[in-house]
Amino acid sequence: MSRPFLGFGLGLRTDHYQHVIEHRPQVDWFEIISENYMVPGGKPLANLDKIRADYPMVMHGVSMSIGSTDPLNQGYLEKLKGLIERVEPLWVSDHLCWTHVDQVNSHDLLPLPYDEATINHLADRISQVQDFLGRPILIENLSSYVSYTQSEMPEWAFVSEIVKRSGCYLLLDINNIFVSAHNHHFKPETYIDAIPSERVMQFHLAGHSYNGDMIIDTHDHDVCDPVWALYEYALRRFGAVSTMIERDDNIPPFTELRAELAIAEAIAAKTLTEQQLEISGRALLRGAA
Amino acid sequence: MGGLDQLRQLQQDFMHYVLGEQSEIVTQIESTPVLSAKDRLDIYATAYKLRLKEAISTDYEVLHLYLGDEQFDNVMEDYIAHYPSRITNLRYYSINMTALLKTRSPFNQHPVLAELATIESSFANSFDSHDRTVVALDELAAMAPEAWATLRLAFQSSVQILPLAFNSFEVWRALSKAQTPPTLEASSESLNWVLWRRADLISHYRPLDGAENAALSLALQGESFAVIFEALLDFYSEEETPMKAVSYLQSWINEEMLSGLSY
Ligand SMILES: [Fe+2]
Repeated sequence: MSRPFLGFGLGLRTDHYQHVIEHRPQVDWFEIISENYMVPGGKPLANLDKIRADYPMVMHGVSMSIGSTDPLNQGYLEKLKGLIERVEPLWVSDHLCWTHVDQVNSHDLLPLPYDEATINHLADRISQVQDFLGRPILIENLSSYVSYTQSEMPEWAFVSEIVKRSGCYLLLDINNIFVSAHNHHFKPETYIDAIPSERVMQFHLAGHSYNGDMIIDTHDHDVCDPVWALYEYALRRFGAVSTMIERDDNIPPFTELRAELAIAEAIAAKTLTEQQLEISGRALLRGAA
Repeated sequence: MGGLDQLRQLQQDFMHYVLGEQSEIVTQIESTPVLSAKDRLDIYATAYKLRLKEAISTDYEVLHLYLGDEQFDNVMEDYIAHYPSRITNLRYYSINMTALLKTRSPFNQHPVLAELATIESSFANSFDSHDRTVVALDELAAMAPEAWATLRLAFQSSVQILPLAFNSFEVWRALSKAQTPPTLEASSESLNWVLWRRADLISHYRPLDGAENAALSLALQGESFAVIFEALLDFYSEEETPMKAVSYLQSWINEEMLSGLSY
Protein backbone atom coordinates (compact mmCIF):
# COMPACT_ATOMS: atom_id res chain seq x y z
CA MET A 1 0.00 0.00 0.00
CA SER A 2 1.36 3.41 -0.91
CA ARG A 3 0.74 5.96 1.78
CA PRO A 4 -2.84 7.24 1.75
CA PHE A 5 -3.35 10.49 3.66
CA LEU A 6 -6.52 10.43 5.75
CA GLY A 7 -6.10 13.87 7.25
CA PHE A 8 -6.59 14.53 10.96
CA GLY A 9 -8.37 12.14 13.29
CA LEU A 10 -9.16 11.48 16.92
CA GLY A 11 -9.29 8.42 19.13
CA LEU A 12 -12.93 7.45 19.58
CA ARG A 13 -13.81 7.33 23.28
CA THR A 14 -17.06 6.32 24.99
CA ASP A 15 -17.33 9.75 26.63
CA HIS A 16 -17.80 11.23 23.16
CA TYR A 17 -20.19 8.71 21.54
CA GLN A 18 -23.27 10.80 22.10
CA HIS A 19 -21.69 14.00 20.85
CA VAL A 20 -20.35 12.32 17.73
CA ILE A 21 -23.63 10.56 16.92
CA GLU A 22 -25.77 13.64 17.52
CA HIS A 23 -23.57 16.36 16.03
CA ARG A 24 -21.47 14.52 13.47
CA PRO A 25 -18.56 16.89 14.08
CA GLN A 26 -16.04 17.53 11.35
CA VAL A 27 -13.19 15.08 11.91
CA ASP A 28 -11.51 13.32 9.00
CA TRP A 29 -11.45 9.90 10.70
CA PHE A 30 -11.52 8.02 13.98
CA GLU A 31 -9.18 5.47 15.49
CA ILE A 32 -10.88 2.84 17.64
CA ILE A 33 -9.33 0.65 20.33
CA SER A 34 -10.05 -2.80 18.89
CA GLU A 35 -10.47 -4.54 22.25
CA ASN A 36 -13.33 -2.24 23.25
CA TYR A 37 -15.39 -3.86 20.49
CA MET A 38 -14.21 -7.45 20.90
CA VAL A 39 -17.36 -8.24 22.84
CA PRO A 40 -20.39 -10.26 21.68
CA GLY A 41 -22.83 -7.37 21.03
CA GLY A 42 -24.90 -4.63 22.63
CA LYS A 43 -24.24 -0.92 22.79
CA PRO A 44 -20.49 -0.89 22.07
CA LEU A 45 -21.00 -2.49 18.67
CA ALA A 46 -24.24 -0.62 17.96
CA ASN A 47 -22.49 2.71 18.56
CA LEU A 48 -19.50 1.58 16.54
CA ASP A 49 -21.68 0.73 13.54
CA LYS A 50 -23.48 4.08 13.76
CA ILE A 51 -20.26 6.07 13.86
CA ARG A 52 -18.56 3.93 11.22
CA ALA A 53 -21.40 4.79 8.83
CA ASP A 54 -20.29 8.44 8.97
CA TYR A 55 -16.50 8.29 9.36
CA PRO A 56 -13.48 6.42 8.01
CA MET A 57 -11.84 4.35 10.73
CA VAL A 58 -8.58 2.68 11.60
CA MET A 59 -8.22 0.00 14.27
CA HIS A 60 -5.65 0.13 17.05
CA GLY A 61 -5.07 -2.83 19.37
CA VAL A 62 -3.27 -3.25 22.68
CA SER A 63 -3.33 -7.04 23.18
CA MET A 64 -1.60 -8.70 20.24
CA SER A 65 1.55 -9.13 22.34
CA ILE A 66 3.53 -9.53 19.14
CA GLY A 67 6.84 -9.67 21.02
CA SER A 68 5.84 -12.36 23.51
CA THR A 69 7.66 -15.71 23.51
CA ASP A 70 4.33 -17.43 24.13
CA PRO A 71 2.64 -18.77 20.99
CA LEU A 72 0.55 -16.21 19.11
CA ASN A 73 -2.90 -15.89 20.66
CA GLN A 74 -4.99 -17.47 17.90
CA GLY A 75 -8.30 -16.77 19.66
CA TYR A 76 -7.43 -13.10 19.81
CA LEU A 77 -6.41 -13.00 16.16
CA GLU A 78 -9.66 -14.63 15.11
CA LYS A 79 -11.70 -12.09 17.04
CA LEU A 80 -9.60 -9.32 15.56
CA LYS A 81 -10.24 -10.64 12.08
CA GLY A 82 -13.97 -10.72 12.78
CA LEU A 83 -13.89 -7.10 13.89
CA ILE A 84 -11.87 -6.14 10.81
CA GLU A 85 -14.59 -7.65 8.64
CA ARG A 86 -17.22 -5.62 10.47
CA VAL A 87 -15.38 -2.29 10.56
CA GLU A 88 -13.48 -2.46 7.25
CA PRO A 89 -10.78 -0.19 8.63
CA LEU A 90 -8.21 1.56 6.47
CA TRP A 91 -5.57 -0.21 8.49
CA VAL A 92 -4.91 -2.12 11.70
CA SER A 93 -2.18 -1.42 14.23
CA ASP A 94 -0.73 -2.71 17.49
CA HIS A 95 2.43 -2.08 19.49
CA LEU A 96 6.03 -3.20 19.21
CA CYS A 97 5.95 -4.79 22.64
CA TRP A 98 5.03 -7.85 24.64
CA THR A 99 2.19 -7.96 27.15
CA HIS A 100 2.06 -11.55 28.43
CA VAL A 101 4.23 -14.55 29.11
CA ASP A 102 3.28 -18.02 30.42
CA GLN A 103 -0.33 -16.92 29.75
CA VAL A 104 -0.14 -14.26 32.48
CA ASN A 105 -1.07 -10.85 31.16
CA SER A 106 0.38 -7.56 32.40
CA HIS A 107 -2.12 -5.58 30.30
CA ASP A 108 0.80 -3.25 29.71
CA LEU A 109 2.99 -2.46 26.70
CA LEU A 110 6.31 -3.88 27.86
CA PRO A 111 9.56 -3.06 26.07
CA LEU A 112 11.77 -5.55 24.25
CA PRO A 113 15.56 -5.85 24.21
CA TYR A 114 17.00 -4.50 20.98
CA ASP A 115 19.04 -7.39 19.60
CA GLU A 116 19.26 -9.65 16.60
CA ALA A 117 17.36 -12.60 18.11
CA THR A 118 14.45 -10.35 19.04
CA ILE A 119 14.40 -8.81 15.57
CA ASN A 120 14.15 -12.29 14.03
CA HIS A 121 11.39 -13.25 16.44
CA LEU A 122 9.40 -10.09 15.76
CA ALA A 123 9.82 -10.19 11.99
CA ASP A 124 8.64 -13.77 11.99
CA ARG A 125 5.62 -13.13 14.22
CA ILE A 126 4.54 -10.01 12.34
CA SER A 127 4.70 -11.99 9.09
CA GLN A 128 2.52 -14.71 10.62
CA VAL A 129 -0.06 -12.16 11.74
CA GLN A 130 -0.04 -10.44 8.36
CA ASP A 131 -0.53 -13.78 6.61
CA PHE A 132 -3.41 -14.65 8.89
CA LEU A 133 -5.12 -11.27 8.55
CA GLY A 134 -4.37 -11.11 4.84
CA ARG A 135 -3.09 -7.54 5.11
CA PRO A 136 -0.05 -5.65 6.33
CA ILE A 137 -0.24 -4.25 9.84
CA LEU A 138 1.19 -1.13 11.47
CA ILE A 139 3.30 -1.36 14.59
CA GLU A 140 3.72 1.48 17.04
CA ASN A 141 6.82 2.54 18.96
CA LEU A 142 6.44 2.65 22.76
CA SER A 143 7.17 4.99 25.57
CA SER A 144 9.54 3.04 27.77
CA TYR A 145 11.02 3.43 31.23
CA VAL A 146 13.67 0.69 31.26
CA SER A 147 16.48 -0.33 28.93
CA TYR A 148 18.07 -3.78 28.93
CA THR A 149 21.75 -4.59 29.27
CA GLN A 150 21.07 -7.19 26.57
CA SER A 151 20.32 -4.53 23.92
CA GLU A 152 22.84 -4.22 21.10
CA MET A 153 21.48 -1.26 19.16
CA PRO A 154 19.39 1.87 19.55
CA GLU A 155 15.61 1.62 19.34
CA TRP A 156 15.42 3.29 15.91
CA ALA A 157 17.74 0.71 14.37
CA PHE A 158 15.68 -2.08 15.93
CA VAL A 159 12.39 -0.64 14.67
CA SER A 160 13.73 0.05 11.18
CA GLU A 161 15.11 -3.47 10.80
CA ILE A 162 11.85 -5.14 11.88
CA VAL A 163 9.88 -3.00 9.46
CA LYS A 164 12.27 -3.89 6.67
CA ARG A 165 12.23 -7.62 7.33
CA SER A 166 8.51 -8.07 8.00
CA GLY A 167 7.13 -5.66 5.41
CA CYS A 168 4.92 -4.03 8.02
CA TYR A 169 4.26 -0.30 8.39
CA LEU A 170 4.84 2.12 11.22
CA LEU A 171 2.51 3.99 13.45
CA LEU A 172 4.97 6.54 14.71
CA ASP A 173 3.97 7.98 18.07
CA ILE A 174 5.66 11.38 18.21
CA ASN A 175 4.99 11.75 21.91
CA ASN A 176 6.47 8.31 22.62
CA ILE A 177 9.65 9.28 20.79
CA PHE A 178 9.81 12.42 22.92
CA VAL A 179 9.15 10.50 26.15
CA SER A 180 11.67 7.74 25.40
CA ALA A 181 14.26 10.29 24.25
CA HIS A 182 14.00 11.98 27.63
CA ASN A 183 13.99 8.72 29.61
CA HIS A 184 16.88 7.17 27.69
CA HIS A 185 18.87 10.29 26.93
CA PHE A 186 18.88 10.46 23.16
CA LYS A 187 17.90 13.20 20.72
CA PRO A 188 14.38 12.61 19.36
CA GLU A 189 15.44 14.04 16.00
CA THR A 190 18.03 11.26 15.66
CA TYR A 191 15.21 8.72 15.96
CA ILE A 192 13.06 10.44 13.36
CA ASP A 193 15.98 10.83 10.96
CA ALA A 194 16.69 7.09 11.07
CA ILE A 195 13.17 5.83 10.30
CA PRO A 196 12.46 4.68 6.71
CA SER A 197 10.05 7.35 5.48
CA GLU A 198 8.10 5.17 3.06
CA ARG A 199 6.97 2.85 5.89
CA VAL A 200 5.42 5.57 8.07
CA MET A 201 1.65 5.34 7.73
CA GLN A 202 0.27 7.16 10.79
CA PHE A 203 1.25 9.49 13.63
CA HIS A 204 0.04 9.54 17.21
CA LEU A 205 0.17 12.68 19.32
CA ALA A 206 -0.56 12.71 23.04
CA GLY A 207 0.17 14.37 26.35
CA HIS A 208 2.36 13.01 29.13
CA SER A 209 3.28 13.56 32.79
CA TYR A 210 6.49 14.07 34.72
CA ASN A 211 7.15 11.60 37.51
CA GLY A 212 10.37 12.80 39.09
CA ASP A 213 13.03 12.39 36.44
CA MET A 214 10.96 10.13 34.24
CA ILE A 215 8.30 11.13 31.77
CA ILE A 216 5.32 8.80 31.83
CA ASP A 217 3.09 8.34 28.80
CA THR A 218 -0.20 9.07 30.54
CA HIS A 219 -2.39 10.49 27.73
CA ASP A 220 -4.07 12.70 30.32
CA HIS A 221 -2.84 16.13 29.21
CA ASP A 222 -2.80 18.36 26.16
CA VAL A 223 0.02 17.82 23.69
CA CYS A 224 2.94 19.95 24.93
CA ASP A 225 4.95 22.46 22.90
CA PRO A 226 8.13 20.39 22.47
CA VAL A 227 6.00 17.55 21.07
CA TRP A 228 4.31 19.97 18.65
CA ALA A 229 7.79 21.07 17.57
CA LEU A 230 8.81 17.46 17.06
CA TYR A 231 5.62 16.89 15.07
CA GLU A 232 6.63 19.71 12.76
CA TYR A 233 10.09 18.16 12.43
CA ALA A 234 8.51 14.81 11.53
CA LEU A 235 6.26 16.41 8.91
CA ARG A 236 9.31 18.01 7.27
CA ARG A 237 11.02 14.64 7.22
CA PHE A 238 8.10 12.40 6.14
CA GLY A 239 5.62 14.70 4.40
CA ALA A 240 1.87 14.32 5.00
CA VAL A 241 1.09 11.50 7.42
CA SER A 242 -2.37 10.78 8.83
CA THR A 243 -2.32 12.31 12.30
CA MET A 244 -4.43 11.74 15.38
CA ILE A 245 -4.53 12.72 19.06
CA GLU A 246 -4.87 10.05 21.74
CA ARG A 247 -6.54 11.00 24.96
CA ASP A 248 -7.29 8.27 27.50
CA ASP A 249 -7.60 9.98 30.84
CA ASN A 250 -8.90 13.27 32.16
CA ILE A 251 -10.88 13.38 28.91
CA PRO A 252 -12.13 16.86 27.98
CA PRO A 253 -15.37 17.62 26.08
CA PHE A 254 -15.20 16.65 22.43
CA THR A 255 -15.05 20.25 21.22
CA GLU A 256 -11.90 20.88 23.27
CA LEU A 257 -10.19 17.85 21.79
CA ARG A 258 -11.29 18.92 18.34
CA ALA A 259 -9.75 22.34 18.97
CA GLU A 260 -6.48 20.66 19.93
CA LEU A 261 -6.56 18.72 16.67
CA ALA A 262 -6.85 22.06 14.86
CA ILE A 263 -3.36 22.88 16.17
CA ALA A 264 -2.04 19.82 14.32
CA GLU A 265 -3.89 20.98 11.19
CA ALA A 266 -2.38 24.45 11.50
CA ILE A 267 1.15 23.10 11.93
CA ALA A 268 0.72 20.84 8.91
CA ALA A 269 -0.73 23.74 6.87
CA LYS A 270 2.28 25.93 7.51
CA THR A 271 4.80 23.09 7.05
CA LEU A 272 3.48 21.32 3.96
CA THR A 273 1.96 22.32 0.63
CA GLU A 274 -1.76 22.16 -0.09
CA GLN A 275 -1.02 19.47 -2.61
CA GLN A 276 0.72 17.34 -0.01
CA LEU A 277 -2.22 17.75 2.33
CA GLU A 278 -4.84 16.61 -0.15
CA ILE A 279 -6.83 13.83 1.46
CA SER A 280 -6.75 10.59 -0.48
CA GLY A 281 -9.80 9.82 -2.63
CA ARG A 282 -13.06 8.79 -1.02
CA ALA A 283 -12.94 5.53 -2.96
CA LEU A 284 -10.06 4.59 -0.74
CA LEU A 285 -12.01 5.04 2.42
CA ARG A 286 -13.56 1.64 2.96
CA GLY A 287 -11.28 -1.36 3.33
CA ALA A 288 -8.61 -0.06 1.00
CA ALA A 289 -5.42 -1.38 2.59
CA MET B 1 21.80 -19.49 26.64
CA GLY B 2 21.06 -17.20 23.73
CA GLY B 3 18.48 -16.13 21.22
CA LEU B 4 14.86 -16.81 21.96
CA ASP B 5 15.54 -18.66 25.22
CA GLN B 6 17.24 -15.58 26.56
CA LEU B 7 14.27 -13.43 25.53
CA ARG B 8 11.87 -15.86 27.17
CA GLN B 9 13.86 -15.85 30.39
CA LEU B 10 13.89 -12.06 30.37
CA GLN B 11 10.11 -11.93 29.92
CA GLN B 12 9.51 -14.42 32.72
CA ASP B 13 11.83 -12.53 35.06
CA PHE B 14 10.18 -9.25 34.18
CA MET B 15 6.70 -10.66 34.78
CA HIS B 16 7.72 -12.11 38.13
CA TYR B 17 8.89 -8.67 39.15
CA VAL B 18 5.67 -7.02 38.01
CA LEU B 19 3.68 -9.58 39.99
CA GLY B 20 5.75 -8.87 43.09
CA GLU B 21 7.48 -12.26 43.04
CA GLN B 22 11.13 -13.27 43.39
CA SER B 23 12.95 -12.14 40.23
CA GLU B 24 16.42 -11.70 38.77
CA ILE B 25 15.40 -9.04 36.27
CA VAL B 26 17.08 -6.14 38.12
CA THR B 27 20.49 -7.33 36.92
CA GLN B 28 19.35 -7.03 33.30
CA ILE B 29 18.12 -3.44 33.54
CA GLU B 30 20.42 -0.47 33.07
CA SER B 31 20.52 2.15 35.79
CA THR B 32 20.69 5.83 34.90
CA PRO B 33 22.57 8.52 36.84
CA VAL B 34 19.32 9.48 38.57
CA LEU B 35 17.31 6.25 38.65
CA SER B 36 18.27 2.76 39.76
CA ALA B 37 17.20 -0.29 37.80
CA LYS B 38 14.76 -1.04 40.58
CA ASP B 39 13.21 2.43 40.48
CA ARG B 40 12.72 2.06 36.76
CA LEU B 41 11.13 -1.38 37.10
CA ASP B 42 8.86 -0.14 39.84
CA ILE B 43 7.19 2.15 37.32
CA TYR B 44 5.89 -1.01 35.64
CA ALA B 45 5.03 -2.82 38.88
CA THR B 46 3.05 0.19 40.09
CA ALA B 47 1.33 0.66 36.76
CA TYR B 48 0.31 -3.01 36.70
CA LYS B 49 -1.60 -2.73 39.96
CA LEU B 50 -3.10 0.64 39.10
CA ARG B 51 -4.35 -0.63 35.76
CA LEU B 52 -6.02 -3.68 37.27
CA LYS B 53 -7.53 -1.59 40.05
CA GLU B 54 -8.91 0.81 37.50
CA ALA B 55 -10.53 -2.08 35.65
CA ILE B 56 -12.05 -3.49 38.84
CA SER B 57 -13.28 -0.05 39.96
CA THR B 58 -15.00 0.50 36.63
CA ASP B 59 -16.77 -2.85 36.90
CA TYR B 60 -17.83 -2.58 40.57
CA GLU B 61 -18.77 1.05 41.19
CA VAL B 62 -21.62 0.23 43.55
CA LEU B 63 -19.63 -2.29 45.56
CA HIS B 64 -17.01 0.46 45.87
CA LEU B 65 -19.65 2.91 47.15
CA TYR B 66 -20.96 0.35 49.61
CA LEU B 67 -17.53 -0.46 51.03
CA GLY B 68 -15.85 2.94 50.85
CA ASP B 69 -12.35 3.52 49.45
CA GLU B 70 -10.34 1.72 52.09
CA GLN B 71 -12.32 -1.52 52.29
CA PHE B 72 -12.76 -1.61 48.54
CA ASP B 73 -9.02 -1.27 48.13
CA ASN B 74 -8.58 -4.31 50.40
CA VAL B 75 -10.91 -6.24 48.13
CA MET B 76 -8.97 -5.15 45.04
CA GLU B 77 -5.61 -6.04 46.60
CA ASP B 78 -6.92 -9.47 47.51
CA TYR B 79 -8.39 -9.96 44.06
CA ILE B 80 -5.18 -8.97 42.28
CA ALA B 81 -3.13 -11.24 44.56
CA HIS B 82 -5.42 -14.20 43.86
CA TYR B 83 -6.09 -13.63 40.20
CA PRO B 84 -3.05 -12.81 38.09
CA SER B 85 -4.71 -11.98 34.78
CA ARG B 86 -5.04 -14.92 32.41
CA ILE B 87 -7.37 -13.14 30.03
CA THR B 88 -6.60 -11.05 26.97
CA ASN B 89 -9.25 -8.35 27.23
CA LEU B 90 -9.25 -6.25 30.41
CA ARG B 91 -13.05 -6.11 30.13
CA TYR B 92 -13.15 -9.63 31.56
CA TYR B 93 -10.46 -9.34 34.22
CA SER B 94 -12.80 -8.96 37.20
CA ILE B 95 -15.25 -11.77 36.37
CA ASN B 96 -14.24 -13.82 39.41
CA MET B 97 -15.23 -11.12 41.89
CA THR B 98 -18.38 -12.89 43.12
CA ALA B 99 -16.38 -16.09 43.64
CA LEU B 100 -13.72 -14.24 45.64
CA LEU B 101 -16.26 -12.47 47.85
CA LYS B 102 -18.16 -15.71 48.47
CA THR B 103 -15.13 -17.68 49.53
CA ARG B 104 -12.57 -15.35 51.09
CA SER B 105 -12.66 -14.20 54.68
CA PRO B 106 -13.59 -11.60 55.89
CA PHE B 107 -15.67 -10.78 52.78
CA ASN B 108 -17.69 -14.01 52.93
CA GLN B 109 -19.03 -13.00 56.34
CA HIS B 110 -20.99 -10.24 54.56
CA PRO B 111 -23.06 -12.00 51.88
CA VAL B 112 -24.34 -8.68 50.57
CA LEU B 113 -20.89 -8.05 49.04
CA ALA B 114 -21.04 -11.09 46.78
CA GLU B 115 -24.66 -10.23 45.94
CA LEU B 116 -23.78 -6.67 44.91
CA ALA B 117 -20.92 -8.05 42.80
CA THR B 118 -23.34 -10.50 41.17
CA ILE B 119 -25.72 -7.68 40.31
CA GLU B 120 -22.98 -5.53 38.80
CA SER B 121 -21.36 -8.32 36.80
CA SER B 122 -24.78 -9.43 35.54
CA PHE B 123 -25.46 -5.91 34.25
CA ALA B 124 -22.05 -5.93 32.56
CA ASN B 125 -22.75 -9.32 30.95
CA SER B 126 -26.12 -8.10 29.77
CA PHE B 127 -24.71 -4.82 28.43
CA ASP B 128 -22.49 -6.35 25.74
CA SER B 129 -24.04 -9.78 25.27
CA HIS B 130 -24.93 -11.15 21.81
CA ASP B 131 -27.47 -9.40 19.59
CA ARG B 132 -30.13 -11.94 18.68
CA THR B 133 -33.52 -11.76 17.00
CA VAL B 134 -36.52 -11.15 19.24
CA VAL B 135 -39.56 -13.47 19.21
CA ALA B 136 -42.87 -11.71 18.52
CA LEU B 137 -46.23 -12.79 19.99
CA ASP B 138 -47.67 -13.77 16.59
CA GLU B 139 -45.10 -16.56 16.36
CA LEU B 140 -46.89 -18.07 19.31
CA ALA B 141 -50.25 -17.71 17.61
CA ALA B 142 -48.91 -19.63 14.61
CA MET B 143 -48.17 -22.65 16.79
CA ALA B 144 -50.44 -25.72 16.62
CA PRO B 145 -52.01 -26.78 19.99
CA GLU B 146 -50.33 -30.20 19.92
CA ALA B 147 -46.90 -28.52 19.64
CA TRP B 148 -47.05 -27.29 23.25
CA ALA B 149 -45.63 -30.40 24.89
CA THR B 150 -42.44 -30.32 22.81
CA LEU B 151 -42.01 -26.54 22.79
CA ARG B 152 -38.54 -25.36 23.82
CA LEU B 153 -37.36 -21.77 24.13
CA ALA B 154 -34.17 -20.01 23.13
CA PHE B 155 -33.36 -16.93 25.19
CA GLN B 156 -31.42 -13.76 24.70
CA SER B 157 -27.96 -14.42 26.06
CA SER B 158 -28.46 -11.51 28.45
CA VAL B 159 -31.12 -13.41 30.45
CA GLN B 160 -29.69 -14.28 33.86
CA ILE B 161 -31.29 -15.47 37.09
CA LEU B 162 -29.73 -13.94 40.19
CA PRO B 163 -30.29 -15.78 43.47
CA LEU B 164 -30.25 -13.09 46.19
CA ALA B 165 -30.87 -13.81 49.87
CA PHE B 166 -30.87 -10.13 50.90
CA ASN B 167 -32.48 -6.92 49.73
CA SER B 168 -29.34 -6.33 47.71
CA PHE B 169 -31.19 -4.99 44.67
CA GLU B 170 -32.68 -2.21 46.81
CA VAL B 171 -29.23 -1.46 48.20
CA TRP B 172 -27.78 -1.46 44.69
CA ARG B 173 -30.56 0.79 43.39
CA ALA B 174 -30.17 3.36 46.18
CA LEU B 175 -26.38 3.49 45.89
CA SER B 176 -26.40 3.78 42.12
CA LYS B 177 -28.68 6.82 42.49
CA ALA B 178 -26.35 8.26 45.15
CA GLN B 179 -29.04 7.74 47.83
CA THR B 180 -28.69 6.28 51.32
CA PRO B 181 -29.18 2.52 51.05
CA PRO B 182 -31.91 0.81 53.12
CA THR B 183 -30.98 -1.32 56.11
CA LEU B 184 -29.76 -4.69 55.01
CA GLU B 185 -32.29 -7.46 55.56
CA ALA B 186 -32.85 -11.03 54.44
CA SER B 187 -35.52 -11.15 51.73
CA SER B 188 -38.86 -12.49 52.84
CA GLU B 189 -40.32 -13.86 49.66
CA SER B 190 -38.46 -13.36 46.40
CA LEU B 191 -35.04 -14.95 46.40
CA ASN B 192 -34.53 -14.88 42.67
CA TRP B 193 -34.39 -12.03 40.22
CA VAL B 194 -34.23 -12.04 36.46
CA LEU B 195 -32.04 -9.54 34.62
CA TRP B 196 -31.99 -9.19 30.85
CA ARG B 197 -31.53 -6.72 28.00
CA ARG B 198 -34.41 -5.65 25.78
CA ALA B 199 -34.17 -4.91 22.07
CA ASP B 200 -33.57 -1.19 22.78
CA LEU B 201 -30.32 -2.31 24.50
CA ILE B 202 -31.54 -1.25 27.96
CA SER B 203 -31.18 -3.82 30.73
CA HIS B 204 -34.17 -4.58 32.98
CA TYR B 205 -34.66 -6.59 36.14
CA ARG B 206 -37.52 -7.84 38.27
CA PRO B 207 -38.16 -10.37 41.04
CA LEU B 208 -39.39 -13.90 40.26
CA ASP B 209 -41.82 -15.82 42.44
CA GLY B 210 -41.09 -19.47 43.18
CA ALA B 211 -43.22 -20.86 40.36
CA GLU B 212 -41.92 -18.54 37.66
CA ASN B 213 -38.36 -19.12 38.84
CA ALA B 214 -38.86 -22.87 38.50
CA ALA B 215 -40.38 -22.47 35.01
CA LEU B 216 -37.77 -19.97 33.79
CA SER B 217 -34.85 -22.01 35.16
CA LEU B 218 -36.06 -25.10 33.31
CA ALA B 219 -36.75 -23.14 30.14
CA LEU B 220 -33.25 -21.64 30.26
CA GLN B 221 -31.83 -25.16 30.58
CA GLY B 222 -33.59 -26.00 27.33
CA GLU B 223 -36.29 -28.21 28.88
CA SER B 224 -39.58 -28.72 27.02
CA PHE B 225 -42.92 -27.35 28.16
CA ALA B 226 -43.95 -30.88 29.16
CA VAL B 227 -41.23 -30.74 31.82
CA ILE B 228 -42.19 -27.17 32.79
CA PHE B 229 -45.90 -28.17 33.21
CA GLU B 230 -44.77 -30.99 35.45
CA ALA B 231 -42.69 -28.68 37.65
CA LEU B 232 -45.52 -26.14 37.93
CA LEU B 233 -47.76 -28.81 39.47
CA ASP B 234 -45.78 -28.22 42.67
CA PHE B 235 -47.24 -24.71 42.74
CA TYR B 236 -50.62 -24.91 40.97
CA SER B 237 -53.50 -27.30 40.37
CA GLU B 238 -53.80 -29.30 37.18
CA GLU B 239 -56.45 -26.87 35.87
CA GLU B 240 -54.38 -23.76 36.64
CA THR B 241 -51.06 -25.01 35.33
CA PRO B 242 -51.55 -24.65 31.54
CA MET B 243 -52.89 -21.10 31.92
CA LYS B 244 -49.97 -20.18 34.15
CA ALA B 245 -47.42 -21.62 31.75
CA VAL B 246 -48.97 -19.72 28.83
CA SER B 247 -49.01 -16.47 30.79
CA TYR B 248 -45.32 -16.86 31.67
CA LEU B 249 -44.50 -17.50 28.05
CA GLN B 250 -46.48 -14.46 26.95
CA SER B 251 -44.77 -12.20 29.44
CA TRP B 252 -41.31 -13.48 28.49
CA ILE B 253 -42.16 -12.72 24.86
CA ASN B 254 -43.57 -9.29 25.70
CA GLU B 255 -40.50 -8.52 27.75
CA GLU B 256 -38.29 -9.50 24.78
CA MET B 257 -36.46 -12.25 26.63
CA LEU B 258 -36.86 -14.84 23.88
CA SER B 259 -34.82 -15.30 20.72
CA GLY B 260 -36.51 -18.40 19.31
CA LEU B 261 -39.26 -21.05 19.64
CA SER B 262 -38.67 -24.61 18.56
CA TYR B 263 -41.18 -27.43 18.52
FE1 LIG C 1 0.29 5.91 20.81
